[in-house]
Amino acid sequence: MNWSNLVAQMFNGLVLGALLALISSGLTIIYGTLGVLNLAHGAMFMIGGYAGYLAFEATGSYPIAVVAGAALVMVLGILIERVIVRHFYGRPAEDQILVTFGLGIVFVELVRLGFGSLSRSVPPPSWAQGVTSLGFTVYPTYRLVVVGIVAVALLILYLVLYRTRLGMIVRAGIEDSVMVDSLGINVYRVFMVVFGIGAMAAGFAGIVNAPVASLTPDVGESIMIETFVVVVIGGVGSFPGAILGGLIAGQILSLTSIVDPGYSYVMLFAAMTIVLLVRPRGLLGSRSRD
Amino acid sequence: MTARTKGTALKSRRNFLRQAAIAGIGLTAGSRVSSVWAKDEPPIGTWPAGSQGNSVFIGITVPRTGTYAVQGEDELKGYQLAVEHINAGHPLIKAISTKTTKGVLGKEVKFGVADSEAKPNVAVQAQSRFITENKAVLITGSTSSAVAVALNKLAQREHVLYAAGISGSNDTTGKDCVRYGVRQCFYGQTAAAAIGPITVKTFGQNKKAAYLTPDYTYGHTVTKSMQDYLKTAGWTTATNQVAPLGAPDYSSFLLNIANSGADVLLNVNWGHDAVLSTQQAKQFGIFDKMKLVVPYQTPFLAREVGGDLMAGVYAATDFWWTLQDKYPLAKMFVEEFEKKYGYKPEWGANNGYMEFALWADAVERAGTFYPPSVIKVYEDGHKIQSTVGEVYFRKEDHQLVRPVIIVRGKKAADMKNKEDFYDVVEVVPGEPLMQKPDAFGCKLGDYT
Amino acid sequence: MTAHRLPLTEILTGLGLLAAPFVLPPLGFAPNTVNQILVWGLFGIGFDILFGYTGLLSFGQSAFFGTGGFVAAYILTNDIVSSVPLALLIGMVAATIVGVLVGMIALRRTGIYFAMITVAIAEMFFFVENSPLSHWTGGENGIPGVPTPRFEIGQWSLSIGTGWPMYWFLAVIYFLGIVIALRIVRSPVGAVLVAIRDNPVRAAAVGHAVGLYKLTAFVIASAYAGLAGGLLGVLQGFMPPDAFTFDTSGQLVMQTAIGGTGTLFGPLVGATVWLFLRDFLQSALNLGSAWKLVLGLIFVLLICFLRRGLIGGLKDLWTLSRHRQVLEEPPEEAPPPAATDAAPLPAHHGLEAPSSGPILTARGLTKRYGGLLANSDIDFTVNSGALHGIIGPNGAGKTTFFRMLTCEVPPTSGTITFAGRDITGMSMTNVCQLGLTKSYQVNQLFSRLTVRENLRIAALADLRGKFRLDLFRNPARIPGLTEQVDRTLALVGLTRRADTPVSALAYGEKRRLEIGLALATSPGLLLLDEPLAGMSPRERVETVQLLKSIRQGRTMIVIDHDMDALFELAERITVLQEGRVLAEGTPAEIKNNAQVREAYLGGVVEA
Repeated sequence: MNWSNLVAQMFNGLVLGALLALISSGLTIIYGTLGVLNLAHGAMFMIGGYAGYLAFEATGSYPIAVVAGAALVMVLGILIERVIVRHFYGRPAEDQILVTFGLGIVFVELVRLGFGSLSRSVPPPSWAQGVTSLGFTVYPTYRLVVVGIVAVALLILYLVLYRTRLGMIVRAGIEDSVMVDSLGINVYRVFMVVFGIGAMAAGFAGIVNAPVASLTPDVGESIMIETFVVVVIGGVGSFPGAILGGLIAGQILSLTSIVDPGYSYVMLFAAMTIVLLVRPRGLLGSRSRD
Repeated sequence: MTARTKGTALKSRRNFLRQAAIAGIGLTAGSRVSSVWAKDEPPIGTWPAGSQGNSVFIGITVPRTGTYAVQGEDELKGYQLAVEHINAGHPLIKAISTKTTKGVLGKEVKFGVADSEAKPNVAVQAQSRFITENKAVLITGSTSSAVAVALNKLAQREHVLYAAGISGSNDTTGKDCVRYGVRQCFYGQTAAAAIGPITVKTFGQNKKAAYLTPDYTYGHTVTKSMQDYLKTAGWTTATNQVAPLGAPDYSSFLLNIANSGADVLLNVNWGHDAVLSTQQAKQFGIFDKMKLVVPYQTPFLAREVGGDLMAGVYAATDFWWTLQDKYPLAKMFVEEFEKKYGYKPEWGANNGYMEFALWADAVERAGTFYPPSVIKVYEDGHKIQSTVGEVYFRKEDHQLVRPVIIVRGKKAADMKNKEDFYDVVEVVPGEPLMQKPDAFGCKLGDYT
Repeated sequence: MTAHRLPLTEILTGLGLLAAPFVLPPLGFAPNTVNQILVWGLFGIGFDILFGYTGLLSFGQSAFFGTGGFVAAYILTNDIVSSVPLALLIGMVAATIVGVLVGMIALRRTGIYFAMITVAIAEMFFFVENSPLSHWTGGENGIPGVPTPRFEIGQWSLSIGTGWPMYWFLAVIYFLGIVIALRIVRSPVGAVLVAIRDNPVRAAAVGHAVGLYKLTAFVIASAYAGLAGGLLGVLQGFMPPDAFTFDTSGQLVMQTAIGGTGTLFGPLVGATVWLFLRDFLQSALNLGSAWKLVLGLIFVLLICFLRRGLIGGLKDLWTLSRHRQVLEEPPEEAPPPAATDAAPLPAHHGLEAPSSGPILTARGLTKRYGGLLANSDIDFTVNSGALHGIIGPNGAGKTTFFRMLTCEVPPTSGTITFAGRDITGMSMTNVCQLGLTKSYQVNQLFSRLTVRENLRIAALADLRGKFRLDLFRNPARIPGLTEQVDRTLALVGLTRRADTPVSALAYGEKRRLEIGLALATSPGLLLLDEPLAGMSPRERVETVQLLKSIRQGRTMIVIDHDMDALFELAERITVLQEGRVLAEGTPAEIKNNAQVREAYLGGVVEA
């Protein structure tokens, strides 16, 4: 056993987990508030990356790329909610799943039509290139930056959810959607904003991750399935659950690779199964939404 | 409808009757074509129906969506150029297939394209349709061995020739070889045997190697071939990181490699996996500590990974466009391709072009589309001029005996144009690279 | 409804299958495409039972498709079994076993959670197939060389080749598959599955073991998937590893949704459209890689505008054209007060319910929600044959009390004894099977079914018990079912509305059906939560009549705000206030109870 490698892998797990946590929290707040499982979430991640790529190509500025990527996906999220998802609130949950699943395919293929399948890269900003020595290992500087950015994003999300009126409504909605209705709040406006924020979380992660992993139209699919596992482990609809689940999934993916990398994903799904058997609602899931 | 009904599986007249009874009325016209076939060329597969008109049809399945779409589209361009040339009687085709005038045996070549999504099941379904609907005389296309092996089996069952597209696994002309399938491109064994000596020569004896292996047959066979070869020079394996197909992130694998103390990283990944893992290896500073070797190069790899990343990297490949300085046919091909598509071809396109050219040659020399006759011409060991010099098919396993091209990545500063990514270091002759014909358990099967 | 009904669907299916090889090729279908359609169609039959009938959307069917396929392919290619049909059967059994195990995990949750879990589990199967088991499964390359079927009958031998001969082999299996599936969905089990889709809570409340029925549907779907997977291997001559991918599950879901859910034929139609368009868009329209975009768009539009798929759309058109005629009939008058012409419905639950003395006793019932005390230390007894009223102001904890009595929620402390048996902590389903059920304050109906179908669901729980695998039974042959349903219909005055969908009922009719649902389980003890709520004065009179008529032979507890009605009906009355018993006694005693008058009734009673 190589101890420095073990520490390095645990650290890497944290980095992977942070990103998964951010994407998953987007999925989970949409679900928690609207009761909609957005199967186009992976596509939002992908589109965020491409939007950022376009902005970067146009301006050459990393911050602009990040802001543009996130903003565009937020707008797209709001549009999706207004034009399509809105009409599905009164319909069975399964219809919502189906329509977002179809939308996901449409987005992926639209991007393929526009950009082709050749992968696109966004370089990390000049001040974050190269590697940094952490003592136990050297680590890509930009990935360290990603952890920072993601932590800040999660903190902002936390503040929005726990310190603002909107957040109060969202959390109340997760607890008891009927109650929120009776408060006379315009729930639909809240829904729209929440869908936008949730999509933005994925899009933001997508552009932040673009310098780490080059973009292809299919980049969102495997991420989305990992996100499901994270959310199921953490508890659907739970923001803290998404973060905990993300961190756990990151550790599993990273640590199992020391033993036998071929089994990383099998272990991830096995962990989910165990959580389901022991705590069907996920580690931090509440009983309100089912 | 009746003409579409195939009776290939009918073992005896009695079976025929039994089946006809089950099939209702669908089979009655099985004898309608009887006037056409000669005694020694009885109907088989799409023969003679597929070559009775003024044109013949080729079924092409390449991935156009999904992970391998880049390589699929590239391959398709090679096919399209070849068909254009064959039908026009272009000098390049005539140089390879010396008997060609226009078309194949005077018939125009037509083709259909279907998206295989890189899935064997979809590819088989699409090709089955091309065979029954269009009476395809040749099926082709793949960017992975999974599809190639599946189509091999389909070809043998349907008695229609299959020219494998990109397929790097030893199995395609090894344990899963078939009489009706041929392969043009290099594969795990020849790649390893070609790049091995150069690796040893460059980095020395008794080194430690790290492998990044995609978790499927192609990956395992290439890694195995490399390990076996390098062992003879005293190399050891520091770590072999097996990653799933289409992994979104390689960080944990790369950390293990970074901390493994290896001298050389052999990245066996293919397609976008190769691009992503190489880019991320760079991010982890791995190339500060160890050198990269790519045993089986992916088309567009250098273009996609970008930057100076491939500088000094050795890779084995099937074709590189600067071979035009060495081979006149390569020069013609590169020029023609660039004229049509506006960029320098990669090896997937060259592979596609050559497959069709070699097929045209085989059919022309056989003088018939009758598959067993065409196969026998493939097997006659005739030397053919190609874009990489003289080549021929090995009779025992239908593998083209062809050189493997070893290239080394250039520094950005040394590039003469934006596509000048590699220097050709060596053109390794093919024959010594190959395993004994029976080493991988190839049994070709029947002609009929 | 007659037992001698012509099996029209089966005959039409058979004719369609016979005609397909003659009709489809001119439209551009190659035999292999048609064969693929049949495999997808068969795969989808099971999925439709799971999704369309039971309402469980799984994105993980690839796990069973792959399992069945690889098991069959492995034993065939390794000469463990030489008979193709036997291998298919073994593959199907393997998939079924896997289905039981996966189902027990995945069905712990419903709805969206269930969908996500199935995705993840299926992905796990893919990775397991691809890596740890690649020695057996061939990993990425799959298993080549799967033989085609060969039958030896005496000295006759018949080997099925590819193309149309294979079509006939597949068509026979598809036909059997659809015949069996039709039997299943028409069986009592099928009726319960639909009820679960519509309202799982009520299905459990009327006494069906919902969890077991869901598992049944899941396992049926796995079995069909396993068989289809095996057939894919046989059809293609090799077993493709992509059978296990998420795309396979996704494509199945999309095809089923395109064709129409809840029809059994939807997946077949969807697969036809899908495979045809895939070929057509690529070959005829030369769309290249954009084919998937176009299909995706079509799918989204279908989900948005044709929510029940192509078959559903056609059906809607058909019913719309017929409905117009129905509408021309004069709207039905409110039915005559019930019960006069209806025979009383006996409570025939097999308990040794005492003919007198307490049938239900609650001791110290307390329910705490977080810091909120909903019910506190309630002692309560109802004598057999009594009609007991419960009154109390809003928030007095009446509904919580009922929910505890029917075991919908467990009490925080206290015990409940029903007919001499401690039922504390039992499931709602088991308690209903013992003969205790309630009608809800807010209607809990099976909203997509007709009145008759609703009542049949409840009666089935009574006649068949909480779980029974009579998958092939004709419900019309269940003794007493028709009578029980008809009698309940008559009792609640909905005979003339029997075949009306619930969604088309007036409010008062829905309330009566709500009571009817509880009644049709022939409970010994019936709890009614505000049966008169929201009714017009005239409807109240009718319903009070109804309550009077159904009390013969059973015990009833009624919550209502309508004091007059309760005082007229009940022999004894309990008054709840702030979660406690304030008073109990005969109506006269309650009316004269000073505490009650002061705290609750005020001067109303005198009026």
